[in-house]
Amino acid sequence: MNGSGRTKFKAAVIGAGKISEEHLKFLSLSPCTELTAVCDLSPSLAKYAADQFQAAEAFTDYSAMLSDCSPDVVHILTPPQTHWRIVTECLSAGSHVIVEKPVAISRREFHELWALAQKCDRQLIEDHNYRFNQPVLEIEQLVNDGTLGNIREVDVRMTLNIRGGGRYADVNLPHPSHQLPAGVIHEFLPHLCYLALRFLPEDLATEELQFDHVAAAWSNHGDDELFTFDDLDATVISGGVHLHIRFDCWSQPDCFSITVRGDRGSSQCDLFQPSVITAIPRKGPEQLSPIINQHKAGSELKVAARRNFMGKIRQRTPYEGLQVFLDRTYFALQEGADPPVTYRDMDHTLQLTEALLSEAGKV
Amino acid sequence: MKLLVTGASGFLGQYVVAESLRQDHEVRAMIRPHTDAQSLPWIDDDRVEIVRHDLCSGHELEDKIAGVDAVLHLAAAKAGDFYAQFGGTVIATENLLSAMDQVGVAHIIAISSFSVYEYLKRWTFSQLDEASPLEHNPNDRDEYCRTKMLQEDLIRTFSESHNWNYVILRPGVIFGRDNLWNARLGMAVGSQRWIRTGAWAQLPLTYVENCAEAVVTAVSSPSANGSIINIVDDDTPTQRRFTKLLLAQSQTPIKVIPVAWTIMRCIARSAWLINQIFFGGSAKVPSIFVPSRLHARCKPLRYTNKRARQLLQWKPRYSLIEALNRSYVANPQELNRREPVHAAVEGADS
Repeated sequence: MNGSGRTKFKAAVIGAGKISEEHLKFLSLSPCTELTAVCDLSPSLAKYAADQFQAAEAFTDYSAMLSDCSPDVVHILTPPQTHWRIVTECLSAGSHVIVEKPVAISRREFHELWALAQKCDRQLIEDHNYRFNQPVLEIEQLVNDGTLGNIREVDVRMTLNIRGGGRYADVNLPHPSHQLPAGVIHEFLPHLCYLALRFLPEDLATEELQFDHVAAAWSNHGDDELFTFDDLDATVISGGVHLHIRFDCWSQPDCFSITVRGDRGSSQCDLFQPSVITAIPRKGPEQLSPIINQHKAGSELKVAARRNFMGKIRQRTPYEGLQVFLDRTYFALQEGADPPVTYRDMDHTLQLTEALLSEAGKV
Repeated sequence: MKLLVTGASGFLGQYVVAESLRQDHEVRAMIRPHTDAQSLPWIDDDRVEIVRHDLCSGHELEDKIAGVDAVLHLAAAKAGDFYAQFGGTVIATENLLSAMDQVGVAHIIAISSFSVYEYLKRWTFSQLDEASPLEHNPNDRDEYCRTKMLQEDLIRTFSESHNWNYVILRPGVIFGRDNLWNARLGMAVGSQRWIRTGAWAQLPLTYVENCAEAVVTAVSSPSANGSIINIVDDDTPTQRRFTKLLLAQSQTPIKVIPVAWTIMRCIARSAWLINQIFFGGSAKVPSIFVPSRLHARCKPLRYTNKRARQLLQWKPRYSLIEALNRSYVANPQELNRREPVHAAVEGADS
């Protein structure tokens, strides 16, 4: 129990790579968790992470960790290809599971894992961290309170210079994501899909999504064999709502933008340089609304520039949403409530992912 | 002996392979799978066997190590974020040690760095040697310092627990052809300006061929077993003198902006205070404004190679001027010569 009399969860982490830093930061600071163990195939990395974040123990074998520590919650941060095996073992051992995206390589695998979670009476939660970034929450609010009207179009674009060097461009030791059906883009695709689906009107978000039209151009504009694809340009139409999904590693600068257009107004944000620009009918003469919108956009950009400059100095990253996601997830676990990312969220994300992959014959 | 050289295509690695051959060793040169081997100077030498492997993976590594008498471990990551450097330096070493253990190779010479030392609390102009304290707060320094400290600890612990022969060498700043300007000289501002601070700071330089000789000599120096040894040359210049020598050879005019060490350290200290007061220490500022990093780069200290001379019976073959002359040789093949090729640098030193 923690100071407020609530349950304190014994948490463990499997996979101590780059993203683990964000999870471990949360776990080492949260009053509702006790970091019991870190596991990684590398003994040095497991020990380093355990030391840095005051975990009680370090392991290189997750089975041993599960039996020795019996964690209440396990964060699985390993490559996607390993998820099915590790999630299965963790659920069977009686732990709730928080897993990095994609939760599973296919929808079929996800359904198997979900059935197991139900059988074990445990929660299975995929990390949809960008959904909880402040700009996305702001746009969500504008959608929910009807400010933008009925949603007609959602545009999600990620531009990342992953070909310019770094872990994804390393030909000597290809990143595990290159082995996914659609290569590296497959690893980023869940982010694009869950963000696009977040703004799909409720009446269209039925259990089985209905797509009237799916077109996805998967390309590899490079001249190497490392990347399966390095460019995705997709349009999905569902009930009159157009979803545009774009991944690009050739344009610059890097951006992660979301634009939501409704029949009353539109709103756009960039998660890498956070700001929200909204164009809606303003008070006063109708003809002045565009001018007022421009004026407000300029003001917002100026404020955002100052805020982002300070954020850069303070080393704030686009992972801000991950801390909110984890906070809400643990709160839900304590309360026995629905987690912030539900079965439907995960299942829809995989449905859309598979619809896009099928265009490349990768399902 | 048959030696495995990891990082063989790197700046120091190429010279270590050449020096190993000169000392009549056979060499297995490990390079990464996609490294272009054709430009390596010893590629056609029959005594060199090339093996391709990325040490970040331990898969089938044993096969590439089996049959050697000792490993000269130079491979490390110098760029990328912490996790990239952790993989390329610490996990790579972990995989190497594990594979060596599997195939019964029990002798390693590992290359570390001066970056592992603590600089901030040292007295100015004090002597830094092997007994000097290591950085006690590596998180305040850079990724390279953090990962090199972890690597050293791993090698020492593993070797001692397995009763292996090991030597850890800590070269200062290795210089040579195409590697002359370095972080200890200050920092570049654009392409034609250079801020220099600590003009009278001695530079812990070691010329790459001298350093390579020390590395290979360590394999056959039983008295060095279990030791940590700093590698610096004899006539280490001041920052001012070395900059002057480099400027004399520079093709493009470079304007040096001198900033007194006392002023620079005050600026860094003020930046640190502002960071602590207004940002709780979380602000990210350029390295030159972080006291622990600034001191590691530019603090005036003294260095010695006494231990290297004692334990390795090593004496730097080339003086500073000879080393610079060799560094400016137009044709790398000329490096087979053992005497200075021209006197251009000597003239500038007067």
